[in-house]
Amino acid sequence: MDLSNQIILFVGLLFLVSITASILSARIGAPLLLVFLVIGMVLGEEGLGLMFQDIQLAHLIGSLALAVILFDGGLHTDRNNFRVGLKPAVSLATVGVLVTAVLTGLLATWVLGLPPLYGLLMGAIVGSTDAAAVFSLLHTAKLELKQRVAATLEIESGSNDPMAIFLTVVLLELILSGQTGLDLMVLFEFLRQMGLGALLGIGGGWVAARAINALPLSPGLYPLLALALGLTLFGATSVAGGSGFLAIYLAGVLMGNSRMQSAQNIRRFHNGMAWMSQIIMFLMLGLLVTPSELLPTSLEALIIALGLIFIARPIAVVISLFPFRFAWREQLFISWVGLRGAVPIILAIFPLLMGAEGASTFFNVAFFVVLVSLVLQGWSLPFVARWLQVDIPPNANMVQRVELDIPGQPEYELVGYQITGESPVLNRPPAELTLPEGVKPALLVREKRVMSVYECGTLNLGDTIYLACPQSQIALLDRVFVTVKVPGRLSDKKFFGEFVLNGNTSLEALAMMYGFPLPEDSKGHTLHSYLNRKFDRPVVGDRVRLGSIELVVRDMQGDRCEKVGLKLLA
Amino acid sequence: MTDLEHILTVERTLVGAPGNSKKKALELISEHLQQAEPGLQADQIFTSLNERERLGSTGFGNGVAIPHCRLEGCRQPVGMLVRLAEAIDFDAMDQKKVDLLFALVVPQEASNEHLQLLSRIAERFSDDDRLTRLRAADTPEALFNAFVRD
Repeated sequence: MDLSNQIILFVGLLFLVSITASILSARIGAPLLLVFLVIGMVLGEEGLGLMFQDIQLAHLIGSLALAVILFDGGLHTDRNNFRVGLKPAVSLATVGVLVTAVLTGLLATWVLGLPPLYGLLMGAIVGSTDAAAVFSLLHTAKLELKQRVAATLEIESGSNDPMAIFLTVVLLELILSGQTGLDLMVLFEFLRQMGLGALLGIGGGWVAARAINALPLSPGLYPLLALALGLTLFGATSVAGGSGFLAIYLAGVLMGNSRMQSAQNIRRFHNGMAWMSQIIMFLMLGLLVTPSELLPTSLEALIIALGLIFIARPIAVVISLFPFRFAWREQLFISWVGLRGAVPIILAIFPLLMGAEGASTFFNVAFFVVLVSLVLQGWSLPFVARWLQVDIPPNANMVQRVELDIPGQPEYELVGYQITGESPVLNRPPAELTLPEGVKPALLVREKRVMSVYECGTLNLGDTIYLACPQSQIALLDRVFVTVKVPGRLSDKKFFGEFVLNGNTSLEALAMMYGFPLPEDSKGHTLHSYLNRKFDRPVVGDRVRLGSIELVVRDMQGDRCEKVGLKLLA
Repeated sequence: MTDLEHILTVERTLVGAPGNSKKKALELISEHLQQAEPGLQADQIFTSLNERERLGSTGFGNGVAIPHCRLEGCRQPVGMLVRLAEAIDFDAMDQKKVDLLFALVVPQEASNEHLQLLSRIAERFSDDDRLTRLRAADTPEALFNAFVRD
């Protein structure tokens, strides 16, 4: 009984330390996952002496944690991101992983002096980018990336693990069965994994969203129901021979973009679950490794890591993104965000589990590669984003607002804004505000007193106003209540220019107005159609220079380029 | 390079002008600019300013608008600065009502100068301290000085 209590105390303290470490990590800019990993190593056999060598258990915990993280990532993936990110991301998640794995594999064959199949296995193990690392980096409060870049990276990291897992398993089977060549069975296996994963993920997600709306439960149970549905899908797909990871990610995406009751509740719960999974998984992986065993292969591992980061990933990105129109800066940035995380370490357990020859080398090299990637790429990411200018002015996503579910009304949310000194609506009567369609002011809280918006007069400093808002209008509503001020290159005027043009403005009329030469083949084009042709799918922040002015995409509504900034370069 | 003080005069600086709507304000501006440039007609100026507004509001944010156009028959750039008695709706991006307007009309052929002047006017209005001074000025002279002085 005493032991149980001590274990509970220990686990509680461990979580406390890990959670508070996030403050430290934010201050020094270190990737949080690296901090968890290091805490695990410090606790481990060569630090404080905690022994953990159960590979079977590590695999189970790792897979479970990864599934939860992917589910949360899916729930938070906005459907709008698919407009610009889906095709490039799928290309990166398939072709990209293959190219990365093969190139890194060839390097590993040479550096480690392994037979080709073993080398390729090494490449496959470190082939995929890490969802947890990329998600947490993309959602840090200080960085807003161009949507084309952010969406591609987000969907890529959510969907490329199945490919790396597939390659690893196939190569391991080839090695263990003594075969040397590939046959059609591999292709069949690929189709089964991805096909079943996609099918069950999308179908299951659709059913799950409906199930959540149909079942009358106590409110606290909806998030658990969602998790149970997700894990059931993961397990069922895997048992049927498909990719459970792909299925649970896609199910998350589908559910996150359906009108679900308790949606906010479910998202918040899973966000916490994903954090817990990250802490547990990285602590565990830190415990699993024996740091001194990393040293003998550290030079080889360093060469492989650098080859992966500076050669294999960039080449894979250029090849995968060739059919799409990405600017070189965007490609370079996507190359740099090839963060490796938990997946390579978990995949490196596979050879240990299956008892392959030299299995511990794979594990130690993979661990080292992940460390190098997290330190080098994770740490430098914000600076690289600024240097390559793929960031855009922070927008509504970072606005401080309260979102509450309205029971039984999945289409609406109750949204609350506190009126600050910067707020554009300060001192204005609520009745005079131009609100987006369908938005109704509900109530106002002033100095702990609740009042209706009709008795409050004007909006005062410190008031909080609550409005019922359709899901689709929240971004528009943010703009009414909040201005985000940033200095320098990302300030509104410097980034988007002095004036705002309507997307349906004719390019000819604009050229007449400002006297710049009309670009070739632009007759009859509106700004919207011209920018659409120029960028395939434009995103906020895309810019094109015409004479002494620059047009900057400022507001997209789906595929429509609604507002275009006019920047004077004179 | 034309200085801002050469295109704006105290006579074309109005304080507390009426202008209950965007249309009224642009009409007021057009009439004053007609007197500054004998070759121009008020309705011609109004039409051109209005055409520009149709491409997208020249509302600059923070209660400022910079209506502008190039015009045939205009011999030199002329500007006009107005502070309205009451702020009006101008379809500005930040949704704020506008009480400060700087109108700029330049010759048809002066497209480069047009952009340079606009950029310098915009720069003046980007300074929060200057905006406070502009709104505190209670005579045309004070408003003029608050705008042209560095």
